[in-house]
Amino acid sequence: MKNLSTKNEITWCPGCPNFIILESVKKVLSKFKQKNLCMVTDIGCHGKIFDYLNISGIYGLHGRALPTALGITLGNPNLNVLVFMGDGGIYSEGIGHFVSAGRFNPNLTLIVHDNQSFSLTTGQPTPTSQQGYKSKALPLGEPDKPLNPIKLALASGISFIARCNARDENHTAKIIKKAIEHRGFSFVEIIQDCLVFNLEINNKDKLMYKIKDNKNKKTAERLAEEWDYNSKKGRIPLGVLYYEKKPTLADKWPQLKKLEKRGKGWINK
Amino acid sequence: MKLNILIGGKAGQGINKISEIVSSILNSYGYFTFNYRDYQSLISGGHNFNVLCVSDKRVGSTEGKFDITVALDDNTIFLHKSSLRKNGVIISYKKFEKDELGRNLNVALAGALIKVLGIDKEVLVDEIRRQFKNEESNKVSEKGYDSQDFRFNLEKLNNRIFKMNGSKGISQGAINSNIDLYLAYPMTPATGVMHELASNQIKNNLMVFQPENEIAVVNAGLGASFAGAKVMIGTSGGGYDLMTEGLSLQGQSEIPLVIYLCSRPGPATGVPTYTSQADLDIALRGGHGEFPRVVIAPGDPIECMEKTNEAFYLAEKFKTLSIVLSDKHLAESEFSYDNKPNKIISVRIKKKIPGKEIVKASSYECDKFGNTTESAEFTEKNANSRIEIYKRIKEEVKKFEMTKVYGKRNSKNLVIGWGSTKTAILDAIEGEDFKFLQVLYMKPLPDKIKKEIQKARKVILVEQNVTGQLGRLIREKTGIKIENRILKYDGRPFYCDDLKERLKKEVRG
Repeated sequence: MKNLSTKNEITWCPGCPNFIILESVKKVLSKFKQKNLCMVTDIGCHGKIFDYLNISGIYGLHGRALPTALGITLGNPNLNVLVFMGDGGIYSEGIGHFVSAGRFNPNLTLIVHDNQSFSLTTGQPTPTSQQGYKSKALPLGEPDKPLNPIKLALASGISFIARCNARDENHTAKIIKKAIEHRGFSFVEIIQDCLVFNLEINNKDKLMYKIKDNKNKKTAERLAEEWDYNSKKGRIPLGVLYYEKKPTLADKWPQLKKLEKRGKGWINK
Repeated sequence: MKLNILIGGKAGQGINKISEIVSSILNSYGYFTFNYRDYQSLISGGHNFNVLCVSDKRVGSTEGKFDITVALDDNTIFLHKSSLRKNGVIISYKKFEKDELGRNLNVALAGALIKVLGIDKEVLVDEIRRQFKNEESNKVSEKGYDSQDFRFNLEKLNNRIFKMNGSKGISQGAINSNIDLYLAYPMTPATGVMHELASNQIKNNLMVFQPENEIAVVNAGLGASFAGAKVMIGTSGGGYDLMTEGLSLQGQSEIPLVIYLCSRPGPATGVPTYTSQADLDIALRGGHGEFPRVVIAPGDPIECMEKTNEAFYLAEKFKTLSIVLSDKHLAESEFSYDNKPNKIISVRIKKKIPGKEIVKASSYECDKFGNTTESAEFTEKNANSRIEIYKRIKEEVKKFEMTKVYGKRNSKNLVIGWGSTKTAILDAIEGEDFKFLQVLYMKPLPDKIKKEIQKARKVILVEQNVTGQLGRLIREKTGIKIENRILKYDGRPFYCDDLKERLKKEVRG
């Protein structure tokens, strides 16, 4: 086992599913060349993973981890790039980057820790919070219905879309491995509970079921509709909801293709 | 000898082509040219004009009075009537109305202008052949030539003249620094560099990429630089505003980054295709927190080349933020010169990169492993380290030209200016009792400024903004307030004849 851990004290709340996600990620990363791994993390509870993983990376700005990672692939398309973001950072502040990345299709993996609230800032609503969610910011309750990120990902042309349950360490590891191995932009949405804020939407495990990898767009659209992120009704399919082969950013640019052949980035070209 | 030629018409009629043909001929004839482009934010219609100044000596501005008007429409004649000198020549489209030249009208007028200047027909024919490679254009240009009489008599001179605009200067400076990636979102007047670098990206072994917005530009720029690429990003004021959080990330993460900031008049969308020097303040201060940076303002295309090269060198050496500040007037006006730029400084990357070793960069204050810390000790230590870096930068930049002095060296009348006003000031003080101090480094600000001010009796600040931003900076750093200020903020550059009068008035006053 490679030394993927750091000496930093882990400061997630006791019992937080982020601990399990960290273990899933370590399990996968041990299968790849450590020096070739590069992560970008956003700002939020999830982002603390930056301090707990002994791999290269940038601890980015809130909402901007995705373009930062896109830049890394422009600088060296041979790196294995992972992006960790929270539902606030990606679906609120950084949503434009999400849609654009679907079009560019850079070869990287986005992992979203979706606990349906801003937790590091003490519980304000995000675009995936359920209608009626009461917080210090919205004591009258969230007036709007949530965004369905899977539907948005499909509409954005993202070439690998998956959903996992944070509590299922092995399944999450298996899906993240597939996401890293997929050539192009891979999006893994991890449903996770927050044990301190937005408790009402927790404990959905009984709604979840696993599917086989799917490459049919119509089926994917149907799967995306099965849960609306708003209630504890419906079924929540987990697994690879959609994947397709599509030219990556590096496939589309001769300069990057050259760097891929070269096996390193621009440095001292 | 100096002639000012106004070429005007509607957008889409091809007035730039006239400037291009005529200035190419004049340059090959040994004449210096300066071409100012005045155009509106539209693609077709309206009123656009160029002013082409021709001289047997170096020239970097135009005058407010014209010797020749080349009119592609009636509006041009009407709008610029009062600026035409007595005995000035009008070359009008009307002469060709019956010929139905369509889109070739500009070529005919270029031919007509060459005749008026007294240049041989063969020279015109050669240039048209070189540029167009079709017989039709050739015929039309000759028709234009034959429609006029000789009015001036420009003889061939023995100068070797090159032509360049600021955008090309910046691009060449980046190429000389071995740039790998240029990232930008389209915004006038910075886009010239994007187009220039994109046009030959494969040949020059670099890549030009347009992300979804300026926020993505700056963050992707930092990501790419972190991965080992030499990166420049470009924008104008509004895009720069969006980037500022990213500048702050540069300050914390210490990932090298070069920014090309090309100003236009604001606030907000302002007057997008005109010129301004109102963004010095944001270049110096954009981004929260305290961190080192370099701000350099070249004053002509050759300096654009040299200073962009220095910006890359400093960014990579000190893992800092280098901003090259220009404006629309410098970016898009065509300058001519007969001197060679300084030697290229080699820019080498000496940083740890992912793929080779484990390296972490962070938006948080971090410990020696790159992991987050909130300790008082590291917070203070890292802040001190950033100040130390700036001190080292201050020492390093002393080897570059941070200021330049022109004019009468022993004059007690000191003109201080920066950026695109440089060449207009040079033309305005020609033969007059002025010394001109051009400031090229805005941060670190050179000590020489204070010394020069103390030697002078009269100090006059020339800027294209409303509050005298360099003046305020000098006051902040030296405690000296420059009382005499010539400020222009109508989006149009200085005419050198107007500026000369205003400078003399300041001395008298």
